[in-house]
Amino acid sequence: MKKFLAVLLMAAMTLSLVACGSTKDSSKKFIMGIDAEYPPFSYMGDDGEYTGFDVEICRAACEKLGYEFEIFGVNWDEKLVQLDAHECDCVWAGMTILDSMKEAGYVLSAPYYENAQVIIVKENSGINTAADLAGKDVAVMLGTSGEDLLNNDLSDMRDTFNNLITCDSFLKCFTELGGEAVEAVFVDYPVALSYANENEGYKILDEQFGGEQYGIAFRSGDEELCKAIEGAVADLVKDGTYAKIAEKYPDIIDNLVFLR
Amino acid sequence: MSLWTMVIKMATGLERTCAIFFLTVLFSLPLGMIVALLRMSKNKVVSGVTRFVISVLRGTPLMLQLLAVTYGPYYLFGLTVSKNKLIPVVIAFSINYAAYFAEIYRGGIESIAKGQYEAAEVLGYSKTQTFIRIILPQVIKRIMPSVTNEVVTLVKDTSMAFTVSYQEMFTIGKEIANSQTSFMPFIVAGVFYFVFNAIVDFAMGKVEKKLNYYQ
Amino acid sequence: MENNLVLQMKNIKKSFDDNEVLKGISFEVEKGEVVSIIGPSGSGKSTLLRCATLLEKIDDGMIQYEDVVVANTEEGGKPVYLPKKEITHVKSYFGLVFQQFNLFPHFSVLKNVMHAPINVQKRDKAEVEKEARELLEKMGLADKADAYPCQLSGGQQQRVAIARALALNPDILFFDEPTSALDPELTGEVLKIIRQLAEEKMTMVIVTHEMSFARGVSNRVIFMDGGYIIEEGDPEEVFGNPTQERTKQFLKNYQQ
Repeated sequence: MKKFLAVLLMAAMTLSLVACGSTKDSSKKFIMGIDAEYPPFSYMGDDGEYTGFDVEICRAACEKLGYEFEIFGVNWDEKLVQLDAHECDCVWAGMTILDSMKEAGYVLSAPYYENAQVIIVKENSGINTAADLAGKDVAVMLGTSGEDLLNNDLSDMRDTFNNLITCDSFLKCFTELGGEAVEAVFVDYPVALSYANENEGYKILDEQFGGEQYGIAFRSGDEELCKAIEGAVADLVKDGTYAKIAEKYPDIIDNLVFLR
Repeated sequence: MSLWTMVIKMATGLERTCAIFFLTVLFSLPLGMIVALLRMSKNKVVSGVTRFVISVLRGTPLMLQLLAVTYGPYYLFGLTVSKNKLIPVVIAFSINYAAYFAEIYRGGIESIAKGQYEAAEVLGYSKTQTFIRIILPQVIKRIMPSVTNEVVTLVKDTSMAFTVSYQEMFTIGKEIANSQTSFMPFIVAGVFYFVFNAIVDFAMGKVEKKLNYYQ
Repeated sequence: MENNLVLQMKNIKKSFDDNEVLKGISFEVEKGEVVSIIGPSGSGKSTLLRCATLLEKIDDGMIQYEDVVVANTEEGGKPVYLPKKEITHVKSYFGLVFQQFNLFPHFSVLKNVMHAPINVQKRDKAEVEKEARELLEKMGLADKADAYPCQLSGGQQQRVAIARALALNPDILFFDEPTSALDPELTGEVLKIIRQLAEEKMTMVIVTHEMSFARGVSNRVIFMDGGYIIEEGDPEEVFGNPTQERTKQFLKNYQQ
């Protein structure tokens, strides 16, 4: 009986909440497009729920704005198509902002993180510099700025590799490395750092490449939405929430633009 | 990137697509026959186990089986991952298609009238002779349309090799699509598969026609 | 002349599940003899042929071809068959013509006739082909050698089936209702061939519903009913003056 009452009470509360929400003028659903396999920015937590630095910030921002918050896991190499298709309202997942995106008309937020590409290898591999990769097999994830870099600015370096293979997830890149199908993975610095911290026997080479910046992409014409989100994030920085969340992610805290 | 460069680049992956296709056909057709015979075994354990394996292979996505064959040994036993992805890809494809072919063979074999076996038995043919000389040729003719169906599906399924980073034509197409932010490579891939299948269809049609010497 | 017996079957019993189809059948066939087996449907005629041609295993009794005992049953025991290798040899003693012909559809007429002699008996191909063409000539099918079974009429297919059985040079030929699957106008051509073989002193056992044919062609008629041989003897006796009530009844039904 008690249980039944509890359920009834919960149902009533939920209803009243929904009722409250619908009376609010600014109530709006905001769908955050994330890469569900990009720790520590966005990933699936131990409890099976999406979490990560970007996810927590976005949720807090939505709370501030009174938006209803929802998450959509994009297919990374089709993220912009999915954004255009209204499957999500932004792509916000440790995404490198590229000039080509701006040229294609997407609205981009101010950068919030400075990223670099690094090379992760097995500790005992004897590889110490990028030059040692000549004649070796290297993996990179499809659709990442690392792949873009190797195909354009770093194509000379790529040409020294024996073979460059593209995987469709970071996990597969690291599996190829662990299983010795490749000798190195070309990958974003925070991803490499968290993998090297959690798994024994890997090291990150000192050289860094690219120096790209992370930002949020919105559909063309969504300048208002972009400004609203940027404003809410600025408020979070001001009231200290931003720093509090960032403390949970020591791997990336040094490169967060707003905390400098 | 011009359309022509795109086509040329993707065509280099076509060789690998063909390798998956032809090797899978080569291995899965005979393997399917072995599986079909095990499935029809009078030994209840053998036929039961085979039946279960077939249902797993047909009841789980091929993509999952590709991942299992390629990365499974590494996660389970710490073995190295094959540098030449063609090997795990062809293994996974061959096993998966063998399961489908086995069921087609079984249907074909079971559709042959009992009288054919009895006539052969009275004439003194051994069991093996009966199967190879009398039953099998009739089965092959009957199952050709279903086999053609599977082979056509196989052409399209080769694109799944991208999931284990085997750079066949579709993977290259995806890479180009990414770097060029263009949908064009997918259209090119579609045309490639269509032409490939038109050729397969034509060839299988020829074989079917050749088997049409009797009704 | 004891050595003149081609086939001996003694006390043959056969059941399918709980249904006993043969309840102790004994009969013999002499060399050159033509025996017809008649009787109502379900009387066990076809089962008897299937046991004789080793398509079914007997539950009790003895089967002997010439001087080879193929299966025998000790008192109270199970029947013991010859080992597989010798059984294959025994199969060359007899041939069987099926009701449904059972030709191999993927072989031409000539190949249907030649395939077993070449592949089972391992005989010389040229010699087999010569004989096969002669057989087809005899069946009136010389011009159909390259045709496929599906291109032939039922009567023609059955004649090919007879040629196929004869190509292995059997000592005895069994016919299991050879005209039952044929249109009435096609039965004549098949019966004519069987008559011709009888004149050549081919040993034959024919299960048939063609009463006048059985009367004309056989040396001996066996009437079976309910798993037993009810009556057996000279065709004129059995057909003209049956001694058993059940035979009379059966023949009467047939004449109507």
